[in-house]
Amino acid sequence: MEFSPENPRPAEPEIETSHVEEFVEQLRCVTDSLPSRINIDAQSVEQGLAKLVLTLIEFIRRLLEKQAVRRMEGGDLSPEQIEELGLALMRLEAKLQELKAQFGLADEDLNLDLGPIGRLI
Amino acid sequence: MKLYAYCFTEDGDAPSESLTGIGGSQVRVLKAEGFSVLVSNFSADTVPVNRHNVLAHSAVIQRVLAHTTPLPLRFGALAGEEQLRNYVSAKHEALQEKFDSIRGCIEMNVKLISQGAEVVAEPHLPEPADKPGTAFLVQKKREILGSETRIAEAKRLTVWLEQHVGDLIKEASIEQGRTEKLILAASHLLERGVLEQYRARLKAAREERPELHFLVSGPWAPYSFANIELEFKSQFGVS
Amino acid sequence: MSSPFDHLIITEGGEPVDEVELSLLETLDHVLNRGLVIAGEITISVADIDLVFLGLNVLLSSVETANEVLRKRAVDDERKSAVDETPHTQE
Repeated sequence: MEFSPENPRPAEPEIETSHVEEFVEQLRCVTDSLPSRINIDAQSVEQGLAKLVLTLIEFIRRLLEKQAVRRMEGGDLSPEQIEELGLALMRLEAKLQELKAQFGLADEDLNLDLGPIGRLI
Repeated sequence: MKLYAYCFTEDGDAPSESLTGIGGSQVRVLKAEGFSVLVSNFSADTVPVNRHNVLAHSAVIQRVLAHTTPLPLRFGALAGEEQLRNYVSAKHEALQEKFDSIRGCIEMNVKLISQGAEVVAEPHLPEPADKPGTAFLVQKKREILGSETRIAEAKRLTVWLEQHVGDLIKEASIEQGRTEKLILAASHLLERGVLEQYRARLKAAREERPELHFLVSGPWAPYSFANIELEFKSQFGVS
Repeated sequence: MSSPFDHLIITEGGEPVDEVELSLLETLDHVLNRGLVIAGEITISVADIDLVFLGLNVLLSSVETANEVLRKRAVDDERKSAVDETPHTQE
């Protein structure tokens, strides 16, 4: 392939930034799609299934949270109802944490890498 | 004997220089139906993800990029020769289309960190110490609001960035709100010839928004524009 | 949020982060997360590391560096338990 001013030979990829540490900090999560690739292979069937189920529950839980906040803001709940709703969601979050721990799953494990669909959460 | 595959190139484009790949093995060219696959011998069943291997993989792709635009494979592609030939056979048309779109191009990346506007604090509510459920919801509200603000800003920045480099790029792949601070991660596919113009435009953009933190990297092989697995898309109706 | 790299980048407290590290991270972002995928099977692994023990999602380091971490930890743990016990002769 000929090189010319219109078709220059690219150099090694350069990184240009004045904020090295900041970007390092943010990019450290770069590899978090890896665990699902390694773990799927190493896991037992049960853990794989648990992961799927818990991801769906986590997804729903977050939707419920958003909805609860909206209702709280919307003003159609009494203070007692708000308190009850909050407590129920707290318990749900705690229960989910328990289940994750039981199956040896971290928060990041529930972000299933589904390619084009992207992450569920 | 398994092969470690680095990338595809169009026939005749594979570099003639000798390259060293994963584990110090020799990289060679496998020709298959008009395409070339750069491979090296690999003895184990899995590829360890470590610094050495990752950099070796990247270095091979980078050397090829100096000569021609390859279609880079994701790290860890192990396959038998038969498997590779079958793949080329099965995906021939898609591969051709892909090369048509990336020929003569490179990938550049722009990442933006924004300090962001402070989320407007709620006017009234003192933290009710005896109402943990309510406090929980109030905190969730703060978090949700924060993320909505971030996403809105990411969308604005996407448009702003497009205004600066839009006419120079062939394709863009944008990730918004990837982390709390990393508000935008854009991958751009552009022809080699416009690289200097592209850089100049980014320089102007930086000057326009000094409060944003930029990271520009490249040129890369078109990693972000490499995927041709269309079955998934058609199955789930994702465009 | 804790980083997978916390355990692996051995800095003796507060050393400035290298551009080399950033370059590695950017490279990782490309070769690990993007690029054409031609097969469905898992073909990558993390060599010689006990994932559960280190409690990490992912590790990226040369095997040597990770072993260094484990050795250092073992030494630290020994030292800690030595402090708790009644002092006896040094080895």
